[in-house]
Amino acid sequence: MAKIFIYPTNSLILSDLVERFGHKPLAMMEKIREKITTVGVDSPPINITPEDPKHGLKYASVEVPAGVRGRMSIVGPLIDEAEAAIIVLDSASAFGCMGCARANELTKFLARQRDIPRLEVKYPRTEEEGKDFVYQIAEFLKSLSKEEDEE
Amino acid sequence: MNNSDKVTIALVSCGSEYAGIQKELESAASSLNAELVYPEMDVASMDTIGGEFGLEVASPDLRLMMARAKAVVEGVAQVDAVFVATCFRCAEAAIVRNEVRRYIFEDSGLPVISYSFTERTTAATLLTRMEALTTIAKSKHLLAREIQEGLTAGIDSGSTTTKAVVMRDDEIIGEGWVPTIKVLESAEKALQQALDQADVKREDLQSIGTTGYGRFLIGDHFNADLMQEEITVNSKGAVYLAKTQQGNATVIDIGGMDNKAISVQDGIPGMFTMGGVCAGASGRFLEMTSKRLGVDITELGDLAIKGMQKNVEMNSYCIVFGIQSLVNSLAKGATPEDVAAAACHSVVEQIFEQQLQEIEVKEPLVLVGGSSLIAGVPKALEELLKIDVVVPPYAQHIGAVGAALLVSGFVDKE
Amino acid sequence: MSGEDVDEITKIMVIDSDSVLPSDAAMKIYESDVDITIKETCFGTMVTGPRDSVEKVVAEVRALDPNHVFVKQRGFPPGDERRCRASRGGGPRPGFHYLRNEVATLPIISKALDEYETYNPAEKKESPDKISPSKLKDIIESEL
Repeated sequence: MAKIFIYPTNSLILSDLVERFGHKPLAMMEKIREKITTVGVDSPPINITPEDPKHGLKYASVEVPAGVRGRMSIVGPLIDEAEAAIIVLDSASAFGCMGCARANELTKFLARQRDIPRLEVKYPRTEEEGKDFVYQIAEFLKSLSKEEDEE
Repeated sequence: MNNSDKVTIALVSCGSEYAGIQKELESAASSLNAELVYPEMDVASMDTIGGEFGLEVASPDLRLMMARAKAVVEGVAQVDAVFVATCFRCAEAAIVRNEVRRYIFEDSGLPVISYSFTERTTAATLLTRMEALTTIAKSKHLLAREIQEGLTAGIDSGSTTTKAVVMRDDEIIGEGWVPTIKVLESAEKALQQALDQADVKREDLQSIGTTGYGRFLIGDHFNADLMQEEITVNSKGAVYLAKTQQGNATVIDIGGMDNKAISVQDGIPGMFTMGGVCAGASGRFLEMTSKRLGVDITELGDLAIKGMQKNVEMNSYCIVFGIQSLVNSLAKGATPEDVAAAACHSVVEQIFEQQLQEIEVKEPLVLVGGSSLIAGVPKALEELLKIDVVVPPYAQHIGAVGAALLVSGFVDKE
Repeated sequence: MSGEDVDEITKIMVIDSDSVLPSDAAMKIYESDVDITIKETCFGTMVTGPRDSVEKVVAEVRALDPNHVFVKQRGFPPGDERRCRASRGGGPRPGFHYLRNEVATLPIISKALDEYETYNPAEKKESPDKISPSKLKDIIESEL
């Protein structure tokens, strides 16, 4: 079972497909859960404290806005931890954690910088594209299992 | 207002909760008996808002801001005021922030203040802004006032000086100006100066308004009808004196210790920045310079007008190292005129660096505060910004004038 | 917050099925005697409880119609007052917008999963290159 970084990081479809084909999705939701259940929520609604954008300095310099670094402090460790990545391009708008275009650009870039298996597919718009979308993701995930078996 | 005195403030932001400052926002709001809410909006509008608003941006959360602004303007979200906030140093967000603020202000008439934050933004920083916002929401009728009526006085208890004016029927008839030593005594003195000049007895005053750092202390002492923070009051006073009460204006207030740059719309502050962390951007720098030159502060301006700033090399705008540069240049043969000009230029540069980074400079630019009287300062500012600078009469008294003007709203009721 | 070290999670199940209705899923969950709470929303059923219990129930519901039940974890538990629409005074949660879009795509995904075993990936259809300037010029001239 490999840890898969997914993009968009809050995607229902990707999270579901990764789990369905036997891997662990590294999704934003789990991180958010950790944040909000940390004792003493100082900073509602999400417990991002002034310290978090500083943790984000690992991913972007101080001239990069605080909101980008704050988001990177959540998503960055997911990228670091990933053993493979699936990036969906061209998907509909997502908000909140995924609401800042600059943070999203950096997220994709950092995922691409990692030397790990990666699949990039377009968000499906038709049934035909949907079949190809699922097929590519499924085959990618299966290939990861095979690699693991061979090791 | 929705219920009792609680002010409902719509938070229109692209993700203040991801910048580590949400707690500061919430605590600033709750200390003012205000509540931050996310405006209700139609989810479907997200897909079309960019085109509708005419501003197509890459970040979905900025589109969310536009959709929430629209919900506020169309009354879908019932709020009393709007706080627009985006990250400092984000160009995309700065454009949206300014346009959203303008849109809300012009189309809803709701008070709106915008701010760009970093993770170091604290509740104290936000408090003045929120206070300005909630008081604008609560006393909008008061701020709409453009004419002073009756016999009123305004006292501005500043950190360096205390100013007072007495006004009668839209005219300034007395003024007072004293260094702030003991807050109450200085206020008494300043007011007495103004009363003497106006030839009016204190008991004849129909109403007194106070502003500045000491506003609450002196407000209680004088039984003032209005004790208002200086952002709102100074904006009003500046545009009143400059006769630009309608439309856009930018007010730059260079005080003895702190500065304000305020973007004003129809006499009401929108975006503003406050200094106070750098002496190099304050009147204190000019005071020090005049001491080194052996001239009175009032003579520095005329000196500066005759000098050439370019003849003096300054390696720093800091009050310690910058003044050192000025002294060194005197030793190298620079004239006092050049040094005075360089000092004015230095202060203006520092204000540009520190305070004009976050607000749009819309004409007319009204320069006020004691330092505006040093002729070299407006000149240096004009050179730097390439626009005309207006220094209204009584530019050092705008706080007191604003307070006297606003408090005349209480005269009617008697 | 429980305040204890119980690993409590929330999963959202979205059902896009002809044979299983959200109410069937709810019944299935009520039948199981594990310690979890559920909340039905316009887009799916939220299941909150200890991790093992939630995983178990979700697996059971998924088994009803595997290709038509979709699951993801959720950050906030339902009704969390820090985020809930009721207490924050308005506006849907940010995640709601994207979920809405994804839910609209689920029929396509379900169908693709149904046909996955038999799917034969066609030759890759490359998107056409940009038209050459000379060709564009010809078109402009012919249209004038």
